Amino acid sequence: MKMPGSRYSLRGRGIGRPALSLLLPVLAVSVGCSLDENPTSAITPDNFYQNEEEVLGGVTAAYAELRNTLWGYYNLSEITTDEMIVPTRGQDWFDNGRWIEIHEQNWSANSPAGLDDINGTWNNLFAGVAKSNVVLEALNNVTVANQDVYAAELRALRAFYYYMLMDMFGGVPIATDTEILARPRASRAELFAFIEQELLEVRETLPLSWPADLHGRFTRGAADAILASMYLNAEVFTGTVTTAGLQKGQARWQDAIDAADRVINSGAYALATDWDENFAPDNYLSPENILVVKHLNETGLGLNFVMRALHYNHISPTPWNGFSTLASTYFSFDPDDQRTEIFLVGPQVNLETGQPITDRSGAPLIIVPTINDIHQATESEGVRIVKWRLDPEHVAEHNNNDVAYFRLGEMYLIKAEALNELGNTAGAVDLVNTLRARVFSPPKPLSAGNFTQASFRDQMLLERLFELTAEARRRQDLVRHGKFTDTWEFKGPTEPFRILMPIPQPQLDTNPELQQNPGY
Amino acid sequence: MSMVRRPFLGFLACLLLSAGSLTAQDGVIRGRVIDAMTLEPVVGASVSIQDMPIGALTGQGGTYEFAAPAGTHTVRATLIGYAPVAQEVTVAAGQTATADFELQIQAIVLEELVTTGYGTQRRLAITGSVATVDPDDADVGVLSNVNQMIEGRVAGLVVTRNTGEPGADAQVRIRGGTSISASNEPLYVIDGVPVQNVPTEPGGLGVGGGASLPRSPLNLLNPSDIAEITILKDASAAAIYGSRAANGVILIETKRGQPGQVSIEYDGYVAAASPASRLEVLDGAEYRAFVEAQVAAGTLDPSRLDGLGDASTNWEDAVTRTGVTQNHNLTFTGGTQATRFRASLNFMDQEGVALSSGFQRYQGRLNGTHSAFRDRLHLDLTLTSAHTENDYLQAQNTGGFEGDVFQNMVIFNPTQPVMVTDPETGLEEFFEIGTGRQSVRNPVAMADQLLDEASTTRTLGSLKGSYELTTNLSAQAIFGVDRSEGTRRTYFPAGSPVGAEWNGRARQVNRDKTDLTFQGLLTWQDQIADDQTLEIVAGYEAADYQIREFGAESRDFLTDAFGFSNLGGGSVTERPFSFQEDSRLVSVLSRANWSYRDRYFLTGVVRYDGSSRFGAGNKWAFFPAISGAWRLSEEDFLANGPFSELRLRAGWGLQGNQAVPPYSSLILLETNDGARYVFGNGAFTGVAPIRNPNPNLKWEQTSQINLAIDFGFNDNLYSGSIEYYRKNTTDLLLEVAVAQPAVVATRLENIGEVRNTGLEASFDAVLVNRSGFDWQAGLVFGTNKNEVVDLGGRTFISTGGVSGQGQSGQVAQRIMPGEPLGTFFGPEFVGVDDQGRQLFNRYDVERDEDGNVTSRILNGTTTSPGGDDFVVLGDANPDFSLGLTNRIGWGRLDASVFVRAEVGQDVFNNTALVYSTKGNALQDKNFLRSALDDPIGIFEPAIFSSRWIEDGSFVRLQNITVGYRLDLPPAFGVRTARLYGSADNLFLLTGYSGYDPEVHIASGLASRGIDYLAYPRARTFTFGVQVGM
Repeated sequence: MKMPGSRYSLRGRGIGRPALSLLLPVLAVSVGCSLDENPTSAITPDNFYQNEEEVLGGVTAAYAELRNTLWGYYNLSEITTDEMIVPTRGQDWFDNGRWIEIHEQNWSANSPAGLDDINGTWNNLFAGVAKSNVVLEALNNVTVANQDVYAAELRALRAFYYYMLMDMFGGVPIATDTEILARPRASRAELFAFIEQELLEVRETLPLSWPADLHGRFTRGAADAILASMYLNAEVFTGTVTTAGLQKGQARWQDAIDAADRVINSGAYALATDWDENFAPDNYLSPENILVVKHLNETGLGLNFVMRALHYNHISPTPWNGFSTLASTYFSFDPDDQRTEIFLVGPQVNLETGQPITDRSGAPLIIVPTINDIHQATESEGVRIVKWRLDPEHVAEHNNNDVAYFRLGEMYLIKAEALNELGNTAGAVDLVNTLRARVFSPPKPLSAGNFTQASFRDQMLLERLFELTAEARRRQDLVRHGKFTDTWEFKGPTEPFRILMPIPQPQLDTNPELQQNPGY
Repeated sequence: MSMVRRPFLGFLACLLLSAGSLTAQDGVIRGRVIDAMTLEPVVGASVSIQDMPIGALTGQGGTYEFAAPAGTHTVRATLIGYAPVAQEVTVAAGQTATADFELQIQAIVLEELVTTGYGTQRRLAITGSVATVDPDDADVGVLSNVNQMIEGRVAGLVVTRNTGEPGADAQVRIRGGTSISASNEPLYVIDGVPVQNVPTEPGGLGVGGGASLPRSPLNLLNPSDIAEITILKDASAAAIYGSRAANGVILIETKRGQPGQVSIEYDGYVAAASPASRLEVLDGAEYRAFVEAQVAAGTLDPSRLDGLGDASTNWEDAVTRTGVTQNHNLTFTGGTQATRFRASLNFMDQEGVALSSGFQRYQGRLNGTHSAFRDRLHLDLTLTSAHTENDYLQAQNTGGFEGDVFQNMVIFNPTQPVMVTDPETGLEEFFEIGTGRQSVRNPVAMADQLLDEASTTRTLGSLKGSYELTTNLSAQAIFGVDRSEGTRRTYFPAGSPVGAEWNGRARQVNRDKTDLTFQGLLTWQDQIADDQTLEIVAGYEAADYQIREFGAESRDFLTDAFGFSNLGGGSVTERPFSFQEDSRLVSVLSRANWSYRDRYFLTGVVRYDGSSRFGAGNKWAFFPAISGAWRLSEEDFLANGPFSELRLRAGWGLQGNQAVPPYSSLILLETNDGARYVFGNGAFTGVAPIRNPNPNLKWEQTSQINLAIDFGFNDNLYSGSIEYYRKNTTDLLLEVAVAQPAVVATRLENIGEVRNTGLEASFDAVLVNRSGFDWQAGLVFGTNKNEVVDLGGRTFISTGGVSGQGQSGQVAQRIMPGEPLGTFFGPEFVGVDDQGRQLFNRYDVERDEDGNVTSRILNGTTTSPGGDDFVVLGDANPDFSLGLTNRIGWGRLDASVFVRAEVGQDVFNNTALVYSTKGNALQDKNFLRSALDDPIGIFEPAIFSSRWIEDGSFVRLQNITVGYRLDLPPAFGVRTARLYGSADNLFLLTGYSGYDPEVHIASGLASRGIDYLAYPRARTFTFGVQVGM
């Protein structure tokens, strides 16, 4: 029998064979061999940062990391203290026990808070350093307009991220290039010296102020404000921490006064007439703010402080009903002090409609100051801090309010505290009264005659509480005053080494050069 | 089942059919081949003269005919699945000799040809670990893709469906997971073309958590079109696929045309599915009684009584349904020996067992083969085009506060109705608690109102041409195209409690994928000496992959009437987004097979792979493998032994893993939301590095040894294999924390080692083999021990994020050296104190200077466990898994039963953790009925602990099918007709308290065994009919 296939042999010989012989090389070439990667929807540092606009894009990203500090660094500065607490409320806010652990100060390198909040803070602050370094390194190889200012701005920004690292962890690795490398820790005093030198070197290049449409970028005043804060805390920041606690470094009171004066006398800032102006949704207009985290009521760019604190029914979208203050802190305020307006307490209304609201069980919502059990708190326990008022134009959880890490009011307090330490208690009282004058009506100034240097030291801590509650200063202040490991509501005495955070375990794992802080 | 029982195998045909032209001395041999048991004709069997390239395939009616030189010949009839039969035939010139054959079914068929990648091999010559699944056996019940066909049918292969949702994707593990950060999915090769098994549809918008997982990209392929499934398990078999082979390879060959008259076959079924189990929450009366009791006891505010409605709604019943599936296949095939075709059409419409979820497939396939030049040229075109429509439910919520359909199904107040009548308008509408944006929502309304759909059109085409250059040398080229276009469309109506937040939110995202593959192969084979054959394959392969995505979203709609179809109708437009990703793979490969007297076999493989995805100096890598087999049963000293087959196999090889995203080694800058910042009162676009560079990034490498013994008794009526393997994966592609400062916290590095050791066994038996009654049984058994050996100095990596309210920052698993992947880590629950608080073991831990734990002493209990109280609680890996198949033929009846079991794995019941809290009643929310029996107080939060780690062992009756063959009079024109009924998931034997212990939610690196509100699995009953004409 004839095989059917053979019938086609002649035709096939004419067409099939050349086609086949062509097929191989043509197809092979069409697919090609290059394995180089040329991404099309992203760019690399090699072909970017070539002009001023592109550099500004990089600088913007380095600033953007500041937003994240208001979760990690901020929470660790507040919830570790008597200013804030996040009790477990029924099904909400247990979260692996992190919040209670932070308040009770029993964190470790491996604990839920250690692996989450503390590790996150470390990564966030260092990402700020690294993003600054990426652009700084690029600036070495190009020439763009205002190059010096961009470089100065980035170095100051990097110094600020390092300032927060120094505050939380003590000495950390110092990097001024972009290489990913296991680097050893600098001592806290070395880190202090590095930050100080960087800020001193760049402050002259930084402008005193920016045009309104660039408000929020680094100024000379911001560099001086950081310096003032560092000098105020110099005994802590240049000291040594052991398991027994702090061995103080050298005090720098006069330097603190000088740096604060440079800001006060710069002419770039003024105390806001109305204290509340510093926290309003349009507080970018306040003349008092020096170094702020900027926000816009737009998705991804807004402030969410009200969400953390407000009850579920206070506004829409549903807030989280978490962060509260302690009863003792709330009651330490003078009821006549305008600054108590930051507290939400008593019968509550919807902040958008003004209508009375209920808790989720339907009973009228009445916020009470006392929390009975932080493990099983009710919805309505704990005074809420709403220092940065709800933005009526908020978009979902995004509010327009900026948050100042430094404002002029604190420069008065820094100078006052330093003056008191140098023996000039009367001068210190005067400065404090300047701030009190705008929040008491009728005025309620302090009288210098009522204070000794030592008693005014305690008053300073109180005055800072009144003025700076919820402004991420409390942990630093308590450490400086030697009270961070004391007892307060829901917290017993803690070990003296807890004035430094532990280096989180994942960081120790990845960088064998890191030495853990004492005691952990 | 299907009339096309076996594929036509190109190579075999090539050898068989290249007969020379007839001469005057030729005669003809013809005859008929039938099945010895059923006495039915066997189509597609090859009948040939031994040692001569002369023969033919049987056509319709099992008949064949071919010309043969005059003389006496040994004529053999062979077909995969049957034992070969030979007989002497004497042909006189010009005369016709008749030779009929009866073929006996064989349990393990060593003569069978098996597709092994870049060629086929006789089963007896295979030296690596290769398993096959007979699609005819596996295509039972309701299946939407090939993964569901191989579930439980191969030793050492574990398939876990993501959910019970129609067309759901699955987690497929061959011999355990090798990787932590990179993919653990096997490579799929369809008709010789490796395909990228990545989702063809973009992800969706979630409600307060993750979006529904994409459906399986393999849904493109109709299971009924599959002719052969081969699974390459060990390195020596898989290394030919080099860089992509670390997790094994699944080769799929589709059905080809059969010569002869055009035959038509219709195969269709309808199926009804309902949820196989329930979660059991309080019913209306129970909830009411609970609230009233708590109010009386003073633990609930009397105002809670106001939250009670008059209805009693079973929300599980309200959300689920009986889902109907229909599936229709129409196939026709025919042609001549030289030119043949097979065309098929498929329509499948599957309703999910939960409301508003389903899957539809419209698929067409065309296969044409042609041979020419006296059979030296073979052309083979396969074109599959499928359109799938996926209706997604808002499920897969891995978030916490706000919930998907299943979360609300659990918590929604059972005293409230599904529908209410608006007193003003008199219209029926969904009941909701409150108006506008709400975090607790009517789950039936959610299913009805929230639109989430996707459609994919995917075309898979391959053109294969092979040419026999000389008797010993042939060349082959394959060009493959895989093109898909998927669109995801979502709309959250303004009128729904979800969409109210944005006053309507619509989104459309398109993803298109283009993969091009070219292969050029040269195959040389010869009898190099007496009794020695050598086959060498050398090839070149290049593949180019591209993915593009584009999406747009708008909000604030005047009307819900547009749905997702008019994005311009929204007054707020989000920034559109798009991206493109390209990658490329270039390889040269070679394999040599040597055999001596069909007794000793050696196979060597080398592959040199280049991938664009790695660092500049590390793009190329070399993957060798070597393996051998020794057929002891052929040796004289065993000639009289009990074995009809006894074979030892051993192999070693290297496999790679390149499954990392493109550009992983580069520092990339992107303008993303996180990089934006505000100056003045305006937003500035920021450009930030999104990844740390790693120029040293390279392949993850797995070296594997495989030792095996194959045996058969009694003419291989009883046969089996036992295999041992050890896989060491080094240079793990691991996403790890990097030393700071760095722009982001982690990067992909080649660090660490994971080891998998396992034992597999499979047994097949023809238990009864009589005319009119046959019974075959198969058993597969697999055990795998997984161990993380090293993490490059890291103490552990946290993974397995816990879902639910109050669980933020909680993780359930740790990846730790010395422990397997999927190790649960947390506090040990010991009981409840008299105030209804949960108690956990409390440990005193001491550490040395470096922070290493030096002692851990149990010291009482605590209500708030801290970091030191966390210990290993179990792991999610089964001790062993079993699959048992039975096939019975009894006259016109046929039956199959398939049972699967996995034993020893732990499952974290995340659903029970967060919904066993009676405190839900404080917010008018329901909870699981089991919580009524525990003494835990109403104010106690949900705390992850050993209490929620359950034994997930199970035995599942996966499928049972009974069929009956009708004998219709010829007047009907119907050749074959079969009716069948089938049941899937008929029973599940398990102590697990959730829906189903077979679970997989993606919750971090290499997490496994976490169950959270999965879409329920169905129990399905099917009735079908198959007709051949």
